[in-house]
Amino acid sequence: MIQAGPILSYAPDFLAGALLTVELGCVSAGLGVLLGLVLALTRRSSYRLLSWPTYAYIEFFRTTPPLVQIVWLYYGLPLLLGFDLGAFGAAAVALGLNIAAFLAEIFRAGIAGVDRTQWQAARVLGLGFVDTLRFVILPQAVRNVLPPIGTTIIYLIKDTALASAIGTPELLRVGQLVANETFRPAEALTVVAIAYFVLTYPVALGFSAVERRLSKARA
Amino acid sequence: MSEPLIVVDGIVKRYGAETVLDRVSLSVSPGQVMVVIGPSGSGKSTLLRCLARLEPIQRGRILIGGALSAEGTEEPDADRSGKATSGSSHDVGMVFQSYNLFPHLSVLDNVTLAPRRVLGMDRAEAEAMAIDLLKRVGLEDKRDVFPTRLSGGQQQRAAIARALAMKPRVMLFDEVTSALDPELVGEVLKTMRALAEQGMTMLVVTHEMGFARDVADEVIFMDKGVIVEHSSPDRIFDQPAEARTRAFLERLLEREGGKRRHA
Repeated sequence: MIQAGPILSYAPDFLAGALLTVELGCVSAGLGVLLGLVLALTRRSSYRLLSWPTYAYIEFFRTTPPLVQIVWLYYGLPLLLGFDLGAFGAAAVALGLNIAAFLAEIFRAGIAGVDRTQWQAARVLGLGFVDTLRFVILPQAVRNVLPPIGTTIIYLIKDTALASAIGTPELLRVGQLVANETFRPAEALTVVAIAYFVLTYPVALGFSAVERRLSKARA
Repeated sequence: MSEPLIVVDGIVKRYGAETVLDRVSLSVSPGQVMVVIGPSGSGKSTLLRCLARLEPIQRGRILIGGALSAEGTEEPDADRSGKATSGSSHDVGMVFQSYNLFPHLSVLDNVTLAPRRVLGMDRAEAEAMAIDLLKRVGLEDKRDVFPTRLSGGQQQRAAIARALAMKPRVMLFDEVTSALDPELVGEVLKTMRALAEQGMTMLVVTHEMGFARDVADEVIFMDKGVIVEHSSPDRIFDQPAEARTRAFLERLLEREGGKRRHA
């Protein structure tokens, strides 16, 4: 029998967990987008000193499991460098570094999709590299790759659940604790699943809405 | 005779082993219109791209208003970075065959972006100037429209306004009517004609021989990376001195004639 009663009294804990999930998602998404953008540019660079390390970085983070990256950063970094990020910090940084590798490839494709002549038009007008990127290239590049960016961000929000492995009291971790205390794992994890849906679906809707608005502006 | 505004001094441009411009020299006085004609692959577009600093040159130098604008990277005393230029980056305006407007920006924002970011104008000032320019090219009612909603001729006129917004001392036109439907060519040429009458210094690569004859002060015929003939429009069209010029003009006339017969 499914019983909601014993679970409902843990509502504040679930809420706190959800809040931490959101924080984790925001911090790692912010880090991922910024770093991903930089990596997309260094990957495209004609200087091998920039493009090769970027290539290695991207392939390393794409081909190792994010769970391993989180655990490694949490347990390995203090041993190696004597530097402790804490559970939240380790999870946020690992997820950010991980997602940056995927976003870098998406941004790179987006930038490559903008016609070369747009760079030339900007250059002839005297716009510098940063202004050209910010006002001319990126708005077009991001528009081209908005759907894969949305998918990646949604993956990231769900992947924040991996932080439970190192004890970050985010949504899944709260669910596990509640399940242990109430001996009601089915109910607790159902709440967790619904909560993830409630968090990610608006993000999906948001990306669709932006995409629609941009395509209307273009027409 | 006033000081030339543009001086091209023996420039050499190579792509790998292929020499696209071979010791090309010319000078253009302020307010002059120079038209460059020649077959495709003659290097005429490359010449404009070198003047616009879109392409580095290997030899020679380019002066704009007396200031060094570009210098050959293989010159013995050249700065290897190729960036030791004293001219500002926006004294040369360029209009492209494919317009190259920014598709995500309205016509007004296309025109105001560079003045705001590069010249440091505030929005009101830049927009007032842009609206003036759009009036000059006959697009004042299109200020809030996105480029894809414009005809080719309108896009090209918007691109001219965008280039003029940077107050360039020289305007380069690279086959700006070649991508247009025939009925839209006239409106763009009219805009260029007006610009020439207002005293803009212009270097125009075109296949529009009527325009060249009427508007040009000087005409250059290029072939295989060199200037073959440099003359007044009347002379070059009526009594070309060089056989290659004559052959090119005859081919062009035949094609034009053919087009007319079929039209």
